[in-house]
Formats: sequence, C-alpha cells, structure tokens
Amino acid sequence: MGKLEQAGGRPEARERYRAGVMKYAQMGYWDAGYVPKDTDLIALFRITPQEGVDPEEAAAAVAGESSTATWTVVWTDRLTACERYRAKAYRVDPVPGAAGQYFAYIAYDLALFEPGSIANLTASIIGNVFGFKPLKALRLEDMRLPVAYVKTFDGPPTGIVVERERLDKFGRPLLGATVKPKLGLSGKNYGRVVYEALKGGLDFTKDDENINSQPFMHWRDRFLYCMEAVNRAQAATGEVKGTYLNVTAGTMEDMYERAELAKELGSCVVMIDLVIGYTAIQSMSKWARRNDMILHLHRAGHSTYTRQKTHGVSFRVISKWMRLAGVDHIHAGTVVGKLEGDPNSVQGFYNVLREDHNAVDLQRGLFFEQDWGGLRKVMPVASGGIHAGQMHQLLHYLGEDVVLQFGGGTIGHPMGIAAGATANRVALEAMVLARNEGRDIWNEGPRILEQAARHCTPLKQALDTWKDVTFDYASTDTPDFVPTATAA
Amino acid sequence: MRITQGTFSFLPDLTDAQIRAQIEYCLGRGWAVSVEYTDDPHPRNAYWEMYGMPMFDLKDAAGVMAEVDACRKTFPDHYVKVNAFDATLGWESLRLSFIVNRPKKEPGFGLLREEGAGRTQRYSVRAYATERPEGERYT
Amino acid sequence: MGETRALQPQAGPEGLDLQALYRDSNVAAALEALDRELVGLAPVKTRVREIAALLLVEKLRRSVGLEAGPPSLHMSFTGNPGTGKTTVALRMAEILHALGYSRKGHLVAVTRDDLVGQYIGHTAPKTKEVLKRAMGGVLFIDEAYYLYRPENERDYGQEAIEILLQVMENQREDLVVILAGYRDRMGRFFASNPGMASRIAHHIDFPDYSESELYAIAELMLAGMQYRLSAGAQAALREYIGLRRAQPHFANARSIRNALDRARLRQAKRLFERRGAPLTREALMTIEAEDVRASRVFAARTEENQP
Repeated sequence: MGKLEQAGGRPEARERYRAGVMKYAQMGYWDAGYVPKDTDLIALFRITPQEGVDPEEAAAAVAGESSTATWTVVWTDRLTACERYRAKAYRVDPVPGAAGQYFAYIAYDLALFEPGSIANLTASIIGNVFGFKPLKALRLEDMRLPVAYVKTFDGPPTGIVVERERLDKFGRPLLGATVKPKLGLSGKNYGRVVYEALKGGLDFTKDDENINSQPFMHWRDRFLYCMEAVNRAQAATGEVKGTYLNVTAGTMEDMYERAELAKELGSCVVMIDLVIGYTAIQSMSKWARRNDMILHLHRAGHSTYTRQKTHGVSFRVISKWMRLAGVDHIHAGTVVGKLEGDPNSVQGFYNVLREDHNAVDLQRGLFFEQDWGGLRKVMPVASGGIHAGQMHQLLHYLGEDVVLQFGGGTIGHPMGIAAGATANRVALEAMVLARNEGRDIWNEGPRILEQAARHCTPLKQALDTWKDVTFDYASTDTPDFVPTATAA
Repeated sequence: MRITQGTFSFLPDLTDAQIRAQIEYCLGRGWAVSVEYTDDPHPRNAYWEMYGMPMFDLKDAAGVMAEVDACRKTFPDHYVKVNAFDATLGWESLRLSFIVNRPKKEPGFGLLREEGAGRTQRYSVRAYATERPEGERYT
Repeated sequence: MGETRALQPQAGPEGLDLQALYRDSNVAAALEALDRELVGLAPVKTRVREIAALLLVEKLRRSVGLEAGPPSLHMSFTGNPGTGKTTVALRMAEILHALGYSRKGHLVAVTRDDLVGQYIGHTAPKTKEVLKRAMGGVLFIDEAYYLYRPENERDYGQEAIEILLQVMENQREDLVVILAGYRDRMGRFFASNPGMASRIAHHIDFPDYSESELYAIAELMLAGMQYRLSAGAQAALREYIGLRRAQPHFANARSIRNALDRARLRQAKRLFERRGAPLTREALMTIEAEDVRASRVFAARTEENQP
C-alpha cells in the first residue's frame, strides 16, 4: 500500500501533509489509545484484509475511507479541524474461529452526520468503503448510535404499544397472512382471500412485496376490494382488522397518491418495501405519523447484503436503521420457517426492535449497549414457511410482541382459508393461555395443541396436514460467540 | 355470532379456574387488574364502563374474582372483560385483556355503506343491539 | 394457586407419617424463628404450637378422607403494646402458608383509618380494597375495637364490621383475619359484637414481659445493633426497667427499644463532646451508666409525688 514509510510515531504536521501517499494508520485513522466519547457513533466492522495487509492498517483504511480520507494526502485538510472529522479505528480483535477475519471498532464524531437522515448516515458509513481493494471482504456487524443522534429521528409513527391500543389486541402475538398466489389474482378474487382470512380469525392480511399495480390487478381495484373485505370482516367479528395495502410505486408522488386512497377508505395500515430506499421510507414514515397509520415494511431485497457472514451489512444494523427511520412493522425472521434465521441472531434482531435499552449480548450478536432514548418499539413480523403446529416454538423463540404470518399455513388449509385462519388463532390462544397458566409449552406444546384441537376441527386438520413440515437447514448468518451454532 | 375481541375469544368460555389462573399470571407480574363492562361492543368503543377502579398491590386472585363475580351478577347480559395494566416504563398500557362474560344472544353487527365518488364507499359498523337504548340491549 | 406448595402427606410402611409432613413443610422453620426472635412469651409460643399441630393433623386427616369441614382460622391476639403481637402474626402467616391454609402467606396490617371512611359511601370501597389486598394472606387489624363506636350513632365503623364478617364467613379459604388490641377493650368489643366473637376460633393472650425478660430483650436488641453495656450500664438498665415498668404508657419491648435509642443518642453526644481525646472501637460500642441514668425516668423518682 503506502509508499511513504515512517518508523513509528505520528509525523509532524509538515511531514504529515507532504504531497504523496501514506499509510492510513499514520494519517491518524488508527489510535489504539482512543476512548470513544458518549456522543460518538461506533461502528463494528468484520474485516478480511488481503494477504499482507495488517489488520490495524486495514481498520484504519476503513475508518479513513468512511470519513475524511482519500487515497492521497490533500493539503486542504489543513483548512479544517480535521482531527475531529477523522474516524478513529481504536480496536481490532481476531474473530473467534475464523482465521483472517477481524472485528474492527471505529468511532465517528457526531459532527459527521446530518440529523435525522439515514441516507446521510449510510452514505458515510457504507458509502464507499465496501469496494475498497485492500480488503477481500467487509461487513458492517453492529453500530452504537449515541442517544444524542437517536433523538434527531422521530422513530416509529405508531409503535408496539399504540398499535395494540388501536387494534384493542393485547397479550398475544398478532396473526397475519400474505395473500397467495403472489401474482395473477384479480382485485375481486384477491379481496375474497382477505375476507375469508380475516373473518376466520386473523388480525391482518398482507400484500406481497411485488404486488403493486400490474396488468392483472391495478392498485385502486385492490384497495377497493380489500377494504370491502376488511369492513365485512370487522362486522362479522366485532374486531379491528387490517390489511397491509402495499403503496410501493415508482415515484414518491405515486406512493403518496396510493397512501391517500388507503386512508380515505379507512385502512389502519399501509405497507412499503425496503427497496424504495431509505429516504422514501423516512418520507412515508412522516406521512404515516401525520395520518394515524401503521407503517408496515417488507424487507424485500435485504438478503443480497445481509446473509453472507463476511461481506455486507448485518440485519441487526438494518433493524437499527429502520427503527430510527420509523417503521412500525418489519420482517425480522421466524427461526423455524423456510427463510434464513439462526435463533440467537433472530432474537438479537427482535431485541433491537423491541427493547427500550439493549445490553451487550454477544451470544445474540449485540456488541454494544444501545439506549433508544424513548423511541417507540417496532413490531417484528415472522413470515415464511410457518404453520400452527409450530405455535409453541414460535411463542418460545419470539415472545408475544410479534406478528406471526401464516400465508401457506392459512390459505393452504384443506377446508379453506377461514378454517386455516381459525386453526391458527385457536392454536395461538390455547398456547398463550397455557403459557400464562405456567405450563412448560416447549415440552408440552404438541399436547396442548392436540387438546385444543379437540374442540376445533380446523386445527386438527391443520396439525394433520403439516405435522411433518420443518425446514431444518444450518444457518449462514450465525453469531460468532456461541460454542456451536444452533441449526434452525 | 360470537364477538371475538379479547385474548381468548376463540377458545371455549373460560372456567372460573382458568380465569383465576390468568389473573394470578397478571398479579405475578405486578400488573393492576381491572374489570369493565359494556352493552356497546363496537370494535372502536375504547371506553367500556369501569366496574370499580383498577386494583393495585393485590397478592391473590381472590379479590379480583370477587369483583368479576359481582360484575357478572349485576350485568349478566353485558360483555364483561378483565384487563391487566402494566405501569412499567415503555409499556404503560394493557398487557392482557379478555372477555369473561357475554350476553346469551349476540346478534352482531350490520355494515352500513355510503357510496362515494368513483367506486369508493364509506363504511360504518353498527351493533344491532345498540338500536335500543343503553341498558335495554341484549334482553 | 401456583404458589401454594404441593404438600402431599406421605404414607410410610406403618401408615401416615406426621413427622415427614412436619419436616417437609416450613412449619419447623417458622416455629424456630419465633423462638429465636421473641424472648419469653412461653404461653403464646405454646398456643402457636398447638394451632400448628391442629392444622398439621387436620391436613393428614383430610389426606385420608376424614373431613371436619374447613377449620376456622380467624384469631384474636390480646395484650399490651410491645408484647410481640405483630411479630407473632407474621410468623403465623408463614405457618399457615407452609401448611397450605394461606395461598400467599403475606400479612396486611391495618387500623381503623384504613378501613373506615369519612363520609357516606366511603367505607365499603375502602374496606373492600383492604380485603382484596389481603386476600390469599392474613389481615391483621390492630386495635380492632376502634371499629365499633356505639357512642356515635352515625359511625361508619359498623359498616366495615359487617363487610368483614361476611368475608370471614364466606371466604375462609381466601383470608385469615387476626384482630389485635388491649385485652379488656377486646373483651368489651366481642361482648357487644357477638357475631364477631363467634367467628374467632383462636384467642391468644400476650402477657406483659417480666423485668428479666425485658432485660434479655434489651441485650438481644443491643447485640443486633453491635452495642454493649458497661458493667455500670447493666445495673443502670436493670434499675431503669424496674422504674419504667411502673410508669404509665409502658409499652413493653417498644419502650425498651425507645430507651435504647435515647441511650445511643446520649452516648454519641458524650463522645462528641470529648472529640479531642483518643477514641477506641471499644468506646464506640459501649454504652456507659451515665448514658442510661440521664433518663427522665430516674428524675421522676426524685420527684415522686409530682403529678
């Protein structure tokens, strides 16, 4: 790398700013003695340096490239209080059990960031550095957000507590289902699925991430039929019901138009996809806050950068950003379903979304204490390949503040959608009742379900249909601080 | 029709022993338990009548059960629910809420529609029971 | 429910095992704590043991289907202030809990003011609130006779008594009530409230402490606070107890505690006044005769004939 070699110590200013190229560490991006301030933002990267690059220099390079540095020395640094603006790598630890990988801790001064902008935060921290040649791979593992910075965001417009108050549903996970098939249903047929599922016992139905406004179903049709279904289901049950109307579109103008119709029709929730981008998400959050709307976020596309352990951005960081950006629901893993999710990692995501204050929890991948400064809590959503027979496992792993989404597990019920919904709701209520009575649901779960099925034929049918379905594959994104990673 | 508000409405009506166990669960967490009743079960009716104040600092479910019984006796044809309130910072809201009494006959709700511009409609849910004055419903 | 210990009497080869039941419950621990904490009070301890024995046997009888109906457990504790009534009530609650006669085993101690309201319609909710808090445990009503004020026709105490009676009769498995107060006044209270008297199953009388018992109590308290008496102070305290006991408003152990608190104050004042002089750990722990003798109780003796 550097052509200018210096034997230890920091060069004097004249030397430091002589034209040319020097090591990042010598430019001041490595400071082993640095003690992060309470107001510093701290990022934890997993770095895999190229052969021959030492980890401290690699960490310093990441610090430099994600803050003030460029590849060569610039004299214009001397016109600024550059010492303050430089990110400082201050600690590098080898990753346990992974040769050639290191955890690098980098502190950023608060002055580097615009208040209340995820776009600015991410442009700084992950903007440039991930393609940097001296590193084979780079992953943003975790981030400590100073509470001073947290307070520049509005956070979730509704949050878990107020969502429950609006829905008048307490003490149990909420139930949802994604309308299937994903593509091709007309508006009228689509609404039928919504009506049956909600009347049968679900709290929510959901558009899929790629249901927007296609030739087979224009968005207005979908909204009109879905709201007919929601209102009919409310009258049939006496409960508040919702359907996540996906307002994702090509432009903000289109999204606002769609959201406005959802509001006009009396929907309590709208939905967006992660792929609309951080700024669009923050705009929709503001809109939701102004219009008493629950904002559901589908994490479409996240696996392209969250899944591989050595490169990308951990989903726990995405969870933190989305809590700041302000969504009320976010898909965060099921542990037991068909999609990626190690139990400890997933619980780490859930804790980021739901706790007022996160303690350091290496086993769940939480490297930092995080004070959320009173920001509301995000309701995690568990969706993908789960069914009623897993209810005890779901409640055990995920707790009660979660939306459990049984798509196939509702619509695929042999006796129909409403029966599928009823099966899920009965299984859920029976499990919560038993847990509260002090029963050991982890071990007695199957028996509790069997007993509940005695007064509920749809549940019996569901248990028989899906009794052998499991997705038992090893996870790729597992925490590094467990002796043996648990298979989900 | 069976109104399915509350945490356990899809299960057969809870026995007193089951109700007591849920109350014990709530008291064990330091939640204040209260009893409420109504004859207007509209899903947006946020304010059922309070049957006395929330009960703080109770150790045992017997005290709550006495209130539940008294409320059910006084309003046998009303909806009665048990709520548990958690005062912990960051919650400060209900943590459990379930129905412990319901009218013998539940006629349910009608859906009123008002046609709007284009194909839009405005919807309104109305309990058939509330066509009669308060106190004379569900009899 | 969940918290009640599932205590199943065991049937050994020779039949039922009362010893095992006693051992496996926490009754022994509660009785030992009673012995340890309270000096003297032999008749009280005997009565508590009798009640514990009755309940143990009753439990065993029930386990083999011998039913005598649920035992009535409401009690009255009579005696002068400072004779250990509240402490014994706490232990009694533990014993009842250990044997499954009380689900939670907590004690709620109240007086008239907690039960009786100031205006019409105020008393019932107040009393019920207290009863609900005490459910599953023991309700201890100190100076219970103040509930009944026959001289005032419109007194709301009677309302509280009626609600109490109803619960004492109908919810015996939910609540044990202990009424406490001076012996003579409790006697009059029961005489004019036969309904209440008939629901009290166990009367325990707390005698005043003798002088030597009071002295032992003082030593126990001082040891707990890490103080000791010099030889002179020992004699002074014995003398003090004899004098104080004969004076009005004597409240047994409570008066002893107050006397010791005042002696500590004087000791501190004495040490502070000599603050230049060297001070030992021993001195910090020691109460001298003068710390006791400065009490007004001694002064009263010299002015014996004053009112």
